[in-house]
Amino acid sequence: MFPVRENEPDYALLNDTDSQQQNRYGKNIETRPPGDPLRDSSLNINDDAAIGENPNRYKQHGFYFNADNCIACHACEAACSEKNDNPAHIAFRSVGFVEGGTYPDYQRLNISMACNHCDDPVCLKGCPTRAYTKFAEYGAVLQDPDICFGCGYCTWVCPYNAPQLDPVKGQVSKCNMCVDRLEVGLKPACVSACLGKALDFGVIENIPSGRDQAKTEIPGFPRTDITHPNIRFQQTRTTQRDMQRVDSSTIKYHRDDKEPVFHPELDPKHGYKRQWNLAKLLGSHENAHIVFTLSAQAVMGAFALLLLANWSGLAAATALKNSAAYMPLLFTLFILMGFGLFKLNMHLGKPHRFYRGFYNLRWSPVSREIAGVSAFFAGLSGFVFFSLFSGGFAEVLQTLFALLGLAGMCLGGYYMYKLYRIPARPYWDHWHTAATFIGSGLALGSLLLALAALAGGVLTAEASRLLAISAAWGVLLEGAGLLAHSHDLKNSKSEAAASFYEQSTRYGKSYWLRNVLLLINLALLVTISMAGSAASWLFIVLFFSMSASAILGRALFYVLVIPTTMPGAFFWKNKGFVEHARETGLADMPQLGVAYEHHHAFKLNELLDTVRNTSLSEKLAQLKRIFSG
Amino acid sequence: MLFGRTIKNPIKISDKGALEWKYATCGYCSTGCSIEVGLNKEGVAVASRGVADANVNQGKLCLKGIFEHELFDSSGRGLRPKMREQWHQPWENSDWDSALDKVHDEIVRIQKKHGPDSFAIISTGQMLTEEFYTLGKLTRGLIGTNNYDGNTTLCMASAVSGYKRSFCSDGPPGCYDDFEHTDCLIAWGSNLPEQHPIIYWRMKEAQEKRGFPLIVVDPRVTMLAQNAHMHLPITPGTDVVLMNAMMHVILAEGLQDQRYIDANTTGFEALQAEVEKYDPTTAAKICGIDEDRIRVVARLFANAGAAMQIWTMGINQSTHGSDGVVGINNLALLSGNIGKPGGTSLSITGQCNAMGTREWSSCSGLPNYRYLENPQDRQEVAKAWNVDPEFFPKKRGMFQTDIYHAMESGQIKGLWLIATNPLSSLPNSSRVRKAMQGLEFCAVQDCYEDTESAQYAHVYLPAGTWAEKEGVMTNTERRINLVNPISTCPGEARPDLWIFNRMAERFNLDKKVSFPEKAADIFLEMGALSKGRLADISGMTHALIEKNRGIQWPYTDAQLQAGEVPPAGGKRLYTEDGSFRYANGKAKLIPLPFIDNNEVPDEKFPIWLNTGRLIEHWHGRTKTGKIGNNNKYSPIPFIEINPDLAAELGVQAGEYVRMVSRRSDAVAMAQLTQRVPKNMVFLPFHFHDCANRLTLGLLDPHSRQPAYKQSAIRIERIEDQQAAARLSMEMRTF
Repeated sequence: MFPVRENEPDYALLNDTDSQQQNRYGKNIETRPPGDPLRDSSLNINDDAAIGENPNRYKQHGFYFNADNCIACHACEAACSEKNDNPAHIAFRSVGFVEGGTYPDYQRLNISMACNHCDDPVCLKGCPTRAYTKFAEYGAVLQDPDICFGCGYCTWVCPYNAPQLDPVKGQVSKCNMCVDRLEVGLKPACVSACLGKALDFGVIENIPSGRDQAKTEIPGFPRTDITHPNIRFQQTRTTQRDMQRVDSSTIKYHRDDKEPVFHPELDPKHGYKRQWNLAKLLGSHENAHIVFTLSAQAVMGAFALLLLANWSGLAAATALKNSAAYMPLLFTLFILMGFGLFKLNMHLGKPHRFYRGFYNLRWSPVSREIAGVSAFFAGLSGFVFFSLFSGGFAEVLQTLFALLGLAGMCLGGYYMYKLYRIPARPYWDHWHTAATFIGSGLALGSLLLALAALAGGVLTAEASRLLAISAAWGVLLEGAGLLAHSHDLKNSKSEAAASFYEQSTRYGKSYWLRNVLLLINLALLVTISMAGSAASWLFIVLFFSMSASAILGRALFYVLVIPTTMPGAFFWKNKGFVEHARETGLADMPQLGVAYEHHHAFKLNELLDTVRNTSLSEKLAQLKRIFSG
Repeated sequence: MLFGRTIKNPIKISDKGALEWKYATCGYCSTGCSIEVGLNKEGVAVASRGVADANVNQGKLCLKGIFEHELFDSSGRGLRPKMREQWHQPWENSDWDSALDKVHDEIVRIQKKHGPDSFAIISTGQMLTEEFYTLGKLTRGLIGTNNYDGNTTLCMASAVSGYKRSFCSDGPPGCYDDFEHTDCLIAWGSNLPEQHPIIYWRMKEAQEKRGFPLIVVDPRVTMLAQNAHMHLPITPGTDVVLMNAMMHVILAEGLQDQRYIDANTTGFEALQAEVEKYDPTTAAKICGIDEDRIRVVARLFANAGAAMQIWTMGINQSTHGSDGVVGINNLALLSGNIGKPGGTSLSITGQCNAMGTREWSSCSGLPNYRYLENPQDRQEVAKAWNVDPEFFPKKRGMFQTDIYHAMESGQIKGLWLIATNPLSSLPNSSRVRKAMQGLEFCAVQDCYEDTESAQYAHVYLPAGTWAEKEGVMTNTERRINLVNPISTCPGEARPDLWIFNRMAERFNLDKKVSFPEKAADIFLEMGALSKGRLADISGMTHALIEKNRGIQWPYTDAQLQAGEVPPAGGKRLYTEDGSFRYANGKAKLIPLPFIDNNEVPDEKFPIWLNTGRLIEHWHGRTKTGKIGNNNKYSPIPFIEINPDLAAELGVQAGEYVRMVSRRSDAVAMAQLTQRVPKNMVFLPFHFHDCANRLTLGLLDPHSRQPAYKQSAIRIERIEDQQAAARLSMEMRTF
C-alpha cells in the first residue's frame, strides 16, 4: 500500500461523504452493485495483494477543475511527473491556456488537464492490443504499457490528449488516477500539489466545498459527447468573446451567447500565403501509413479487378494470364502488399509485438482492419502460390484463396476506412475518406493491371479502354469526395475549419498541385478510353502522374488532420515549437522536453521469449479472449 | 473492471523506493519551504516532498522544489579544482592545496601591490548562513578588503536600504500569518503566483476564507493582476508618484492614524509638505493611473482595519527602489500598519538565503546588522573574533555594482567570485565582460563549472550545492530553517564552508582567529553574537530549528530558559509603540521628491523593455536549465510582445526578433499576447547573453541596485529565421 504519513494535510485527503445516484449522462455512479463478483478484489498494484479500504472504491471518481483559480504554476504537472518518474518529454497532465481581450483588459484562462477516465473510453475501444481497462474500482481507465505495441491509435481517438505516445520507448502511457493513493484515502498527487486552489478530485458530480458549479464546458475544452468525460469545471468569470490559443494551432474559441458555450473557430495565425512545404509534407512520421494504405488499396483494387476480369471470362484477362507478365504481376502485388504491411508494422513502437494487433476484435476497428488485411494477404499469397501450379486441385485451392482474399479485402477495406472516422478528428470524419480509399483502389489497381498488360504486350484496345474507364471512375469518385469535403470543411464550426485553412495556406500549393494532377489523370484516362490502344503508352505517363497525386494526396490526408485537442502553452505542448526544436537541433538537449521521432527495432529475441515462455493453455486462453474480451 | 478485459492484469505504478526521508529547507526562493528528500536503499536521492507539519508550506512545494533532488547529479557540476595562467588558455586539473595556495598568493600579491581594497570578494544569497558568517570573518577579520559584497545588491538592496532608512533596521516586520488577518492587500511589483508560489497559496487560502480586497500594481497583466480586485497598470518607474498621491489623498481627507503617527514617527510635517504637491490629478498624468482610481485605492487602504503591502522586484529594481520601499513604509506608518496582525510592509525577498547574508555575511557591515561606521559595533566584533578593531574599515566599501565599475576602470585588479554569475546577472553585459577580461586574477567558486563567469577565471574551485552541505537559511518572514547534508559533494567538490575554512588557514597562520569546522558550532557562536540584538537567535540550535520546522527570529536564550516554546508562526517586529531602532524609538517619515531619471522610450528606441522571472526558472538557469521537468516550460528566451506591435513590425508568433538598445542587441522568440501594452515587451532575464545585453541598469542612489526593469529598446524583424535560431542556440549551452 502507498505509505501514508501520520500528518497528511487535510487538502490531500479524500473527503466524499455522500454522492449522487447517477451522473449527468444517466450512468450509475456506483460502478458495480454490492455483491457483484467484480467487487472487493485487489488491484494488485506492484504485486501487492492488499485491498484498499476506501469506502467509495466502487464509485466513479473524477477530477474537478476550477478554471477561475488556476495560475499555471505547473505544480500539478511536476507532482505527476515526479510521482510517475516521467522524463521531460512525457507528461500525464499538462497545463495549457487560452487568452483574450486587449491590454489591460486581458484575460488568460489556464487549463490543467490529464485523463478524464471517461464513461465511454474511446481509447479502450480503439486500442487493438487491449492495453486499456476501465476498472470497477474508482472507474479508473488504466493503460498497461507492457501490453501496448505503440501504434498510437489511442492518441488519435482521445479528444483530450490523455494517452502519451513516447517516441523514445515506443509505447503509450497515461494518467493512472493515482489509484495507489486513492486506495489509502489520499487524493491524486497533482491535486495535493495544486497551489492555486484549482484542482480537486472526488466522486463524480460532487462539488467541492466552497465551489458552486459542476460544468462540463470551458473555452478550450473539447466537446463531451464523444466520450462522456468524468471531469467537472467551475468557471464563473465572464470571459472575452474570443479566446485564443498561443500554440501554433490555428483554432480559437468563440463564445456563443445563445447557449453559453464556446465553439472552435479558425484563427488565421500565419496569414493567407499559399506555400508548398513539401519537405514537411513528405517527411512526416506518418509515411508508413501513406505506404501501407496506398499499397493495400492498389493491390486490393488490382486483385479484385483481376478476379472480376478472370471470372467474367474477358479475352483480355485470358491474354494477360497467358502472357509472360502475369506471374511478375502477381509477384508485384504480393511484394507490394508485403511491403505495405512491413512498413506498417515497422512503424510501431514495438514491432515485435505485431501479433497483439488482433487482440481487440471485439471493439477496435484497428484490430478488425489488421485481421481483414491479414486475411487478404493470406488469400493473395495462396492465390499467387497456387498460380505456380496447374491442374484442377491447384485451381480449386486458388479459388478458395481468392475468396478468402476477397472476404479479407471487404473486412479489412471497410475497417481501414472506418478507423479514420474519428469524431475527435473532424478532417477525417467525413465520407470523403471512403471515396478516397475506394477511388485510389480503383485507379491504382487499374493502372497496375494496365502496366502489366502493357509490359506483356497484351494490352488490347478493349482492355485499355476498360481499365481507363475503371481508373477514371476511381479518380472521379476521389474528386467528388474531395470537392464535397472542401465544401463541408469550409463551412464547418470545428477543427475542420482550421484544416481547410492549412490546406489552402501552408500546403496550398501542394494541395493545388495534387488537384491539377488529378485533373491531368482524368484527362489522360479519358484520352485513353477514347483513343484506344494507340494511346496506351499514356499509361506510362499515368504511372508517374498518378503516383505523384496519390502520394501527395495521401500525405495531405495525414498532415492536414487537426484533432480536437487541449490548448497548449507557448513552448510546452505546442506542436509548432516541437517541430522547430526538431528542425533546428534544439531537441538534442534532453532537458528541452522534445524527443525526436524514432524507428524501433524488431526485437526477435523478445518475440521468441514470449513464444517460449507462454504455455499452450495460456496461448489458447488468449486466443479465446480475442473474442470474449 | 467494467469493460476492456475479463482477466484483470496487475497494475504497475512507479515506485522509486524512497526508504528514508531527510529534512532540509528548499534552496530556491526566499519562501523557505521545508522539504523532505527521499533516499532509496542505495542512499540515492530519488524524490522530494513538502514537510506536512511545516508552518510555512504545510506540505506543499512548487515545481522547482518537487524536482530539487535532481540537482545533485545535474550536468556541469564541477568535480575538480582547475587552474590556468590566462583566462584564454585551456583549463588544467589541479588539486585543492595548489588551487587554494594560488588564490591566497594572488590575494596577497594584489593587495600588497595595489592596496587592500584592490581585491574584491563577491558572494551571493545562495549559501548557508554559517558559510556567510565564516566568509565574513575571513574577509573582514583576516583578508581585510572593504570591497566585499553579495549579489543581493541585485535583488534586495533596495528593501534593505528602505527598511534601514525608515526603521533604522533591516528585517521584514511582518509574516505570512498576516494574510490571515489583513483587510486590504496591496502588491507592488510583485507577481506572487509566479515568483513565490507557496506564499501565493498561503495568500489564496486566506483570501478564500475572508475575501479581503487585493490591489495589484504592475505594468503587466500577470495572473495576480488578472485575479486582483483592482489592477493598476502603472507606467514603469513611477511607483513613488503613485505612493505620494495616495498619501496626498490620505492626508487631505484626514484618513491617517494620527495617534500612531504621533507615538511612533518623526518627520510628519516634512512629508505632509512634500505630498501636498502630488494631487491625484497631477500624479495621474505621470504614473498612468487615473485620479479616481488613486483616490479609491488610498481610501480603501487607509480605512481598512489592517492593511498589508507586499512588494518584490517591481519596486526594488528601479532607480527609485529604496525610495519606493520608503514610500511603502510611509503609507504603512501613516495608517498605523506596522507590527499588527494583518498590518505590515512585507518585502517578499528573493534568494533562499538573501536574509541570511543580510544578517550575517558582514558584506554591508558586521554580523547581525552591526555597522562598520559604529565604533562600538567594531569593538564588539573584534573582541569576539580576536582581531584588532583597527583592522576594520570605518565605513562600508563598494556595492557589487560599483565594484564592477571599479574593475572596468582598473581600480580593482582581483576578484573572488562565490556562487554567483555576474556575466549573466549584471546589467549591460558588454561592460561586465570587459571588466572581467581586464582582471589580473579571478577565482570562481561555484557548484557548476559551466557557470558563464568561469570563462574569465584563473582558478576554479568546485563547491557543493544546497543539501550537500549543512547549515541554516533565513526566509522572508525571518524564519531560520535548517538544511541537512542529504547527499555528498560529487568528485572532489567540497562544501563552501570547508573551502572558506581551508582558505582561512592560509591567512590565519598564527591561529589567532578561531574557525569552527562544524556548522552547528558556528551557529552557536553566531547565537552568542546576537544576544540582545534585533535579530537575536541565541535561543536556537540546529536541533531545535528542525524540530520546529524553522523558528522566526527573535528567539532568545532568555525565552528558551524561561521554557517559552517558539511559536509556529505569526511573529512580528515593532509590535509596541516606540519600538523602532532609531535612538528615540520612532520610525522616520521621509519625503520622496520624484526625479524622473529613467531611460524612457523615445523615437529611436520606442519600446519599454521590462524584465522579470518565470516560475519554472531560477535566476541564471544554472540549476533549472538542466532539469527537464522545469526547463521545458521555457527552454529558450522569448518576449511577450503585443500583437498590435507585432503586426506593425510584420512579426508572427514563434518568430525570432532582434531587440536593440543603446547598449547592444539580443535575439528572442516572439510570443504574441495582450498581457503587455503595445509600447512594452517583457523579456525573462534567466537566459545567458540575452536580457542583460540590453539593460542599462541605472543605479539607485541609496541601495546601488540596478534598474533592470526600465530600459528603452527598438525591435527589428529578422529575415533569416534559421540564422536567428542558430544564434539563439549558440549563445547558451543549456
